[in-house]
Amino acid sequence: MTFWSQALEIARVDLSVERRVGETMRVVLPFAVVSLLVFPIALGLQVSVVGEIGPAVFWALGVLFGMQVALRQSAADSPERRDLQALVGVDPAARFVGRTLSGAVLTFAFLMALFIAMVVFYGPSLPPGSVPALFLSSSLFAIGLTELGTLAGEITAGIRNRTALASLIVAPLALPLVIGASQTLEALVRGESILPWVLLMIANGLALAVLGVALAKPLEEAAR
Amino acid sequence: MSRIRVLFGLAALLMAVGLWLALNAPPDALQGEYSRLINIHVPSLWLAFLAFGVTALGSMMWLIRKRPRWDRLAAASVEVGVLFTGIGLVTGMIWGHAVWGIAWDWGDPRLASTAVMFFVYLGYMALRGAIDDPVTRARRSAILGVVAFVQVPLVYFSVNLFRTLHPTQSVRPDGSTMPDEMLIAMLVNVVAFTVLYIALMAARIDVAIAEEGADSEQALAGDAVKPPKISEVEDV
Repeated sequence: MTFWSQALEIARVDLSVERRVGETMRVVLPFAVVSLLVFPIALGLQVSVVGEIGPAVFWALGVLFGMQVALRQSAADSPERRDLQALVGVDPAARFVGRTLSGAVLTFAFLMALFIAMVVFYGPSLPPGSVPALFLSSSLFAIGLTELGTLAGEITAGIRNRTALASLIVAPLALPLVIGASQTLEALVRGESILPWVLLMIANGLALAVLGVALAKPLEEAAR
Repeated sequence: MSRIRVLFGLAALLMAVGLWLALNAPPDALQGEYSRLINIHVPSLWLAFLAFGVTALGSMMWLIRKRPRWDRLAAASVEVGVLFTGIGLVTGMIWGHAVWGIAWDWGDPRLASTAVMFFVYLGYMALRGAIDDPVTRARRSAILGVVAFVQVPLVYFSVNLFRTLHPTQSVRPDGSTMPDEMLIAMLVNVVAFTVLYIALMAARIDVAIAEEGADSEQALAGDAVKPPKISEVEDV
C-alpha cells in the first residue's frame, strides 16, 4: 500500500468507528449546544448584545469542544492495535495524516452544526461573504486543531488524566487558530482583507503538519 | 569553590552593577520612574525566549542522540523559562497599570500571547510530572518541547504583526531608540540575568543528576528477600 492509500484507509476506518460510536455528533455536539445556551443566561444579556457576541462565543466553544472531538476516545488506539499496525507495516506518518484527515472532517462537521445552532439562538448580523469565509476559516481551523489534538493525543496516550492534560497542551497552542478564525469574520465586518488571517492559519497548519510527519516515528514509539 | 557558586557570585555582582546603573539612569520623560522596570522586564523575557529555545534544542538533540543529558537540559531550561516568563508578565502588568492605567490590556497581543506561552510550558511540566518511566518521559517531553516552540516566534513578533499599545523592540539592527544611559543599564542587566540563567541551569541539572542517582539506588520492597537456592530446599 502506498503512503496515501494507508492514510486514507486509516481515515476511513476512523470515520466508520465514529459513525458507529457517534461520540462527536451524539455527545460532544449536544453538550456544545447546551453551552451555547448557557452563555446568555449566565450573563443576562440583552437580545442585541447576544447577536454581537455570537461569533466570538462560537469560536470559543469551537476550540473547547473541537479539542474533545480531536481527542475523542474512538480515535485512541489500544497498545494491541498499535502493535498490529506496526507488524503489518503501517507508516507512522501515514497514521498521523490519516488520523488528522478523519479528525478534521469530524471537527469541520461539528463546527458547521454548531454555527447553525449559534445563528438560530443568537441571531447575529453577518456581513456579506461570511459563508465562504466561514467555510474557509472553519476548514483551516479544523485541520490545525486536529493536528494539535493528534499530536497531544499521542504524547499523552496511556497517562492518567489524559483528557485534561492533552487539553492543557492543546488549548494554549491553538491560540493562532482562534485568532486567525475569529479575525477572519472581524475583518469582513471592518471591510478589510481576510488574507493575513487566512495565511496565519495556513502557516500554522503547515508547520504542525511538517512537525507531525517528521516526529511521527518518535510519536509512535512514545505512545507505546 | 564550586563552579555553581562562582556563577551565582558573578550573577549577583553583575546584578548589583545593573541595579546601580538602572537607578542612576535618567527616568523616561513620559513614564517617569516606572521606566526603570524595563531593566527587569526585558531581561526576564529575553531569558524566557532563550530558555524555550534551549528547550527546543535539547529536545531535538534528545530525539537524535537519546542521551539523558539533553533531556536534563530541556527540562531544566523549561523550569527556569517559566519562572522568568512569570516575572516578565508581573513586571509588565505593574508597568501597564502605571503607564496605561490598566494591568491587563486585551488589546495587547504580546501580553496575551506571553500568558499563553506560559501555560504551554506549564503543560510541558505537567506532562513530565505525569510520567514515571524516564525514557518515556524524555521521549514525550522532547516531542512537546519541539512542537511548543512553534508559537514562540509568534509571541516575539506579535508587537510587529498586530497594531498594539505595546512598545516594539527598542534595540534593532539599525540602532537603538533609547538614550545611551538607559540602553547600557538594560544591556548590563541582560548580561547579568543571562549569567543567572546559566547558574540556575547548572544547579538544576546537578539536582536532576542527583535525583536520577537516588532513584536508581532506592531500595524496593522485597529487595532484601533472596530466593532460596535449589540445593538449600529440603525435600518435604
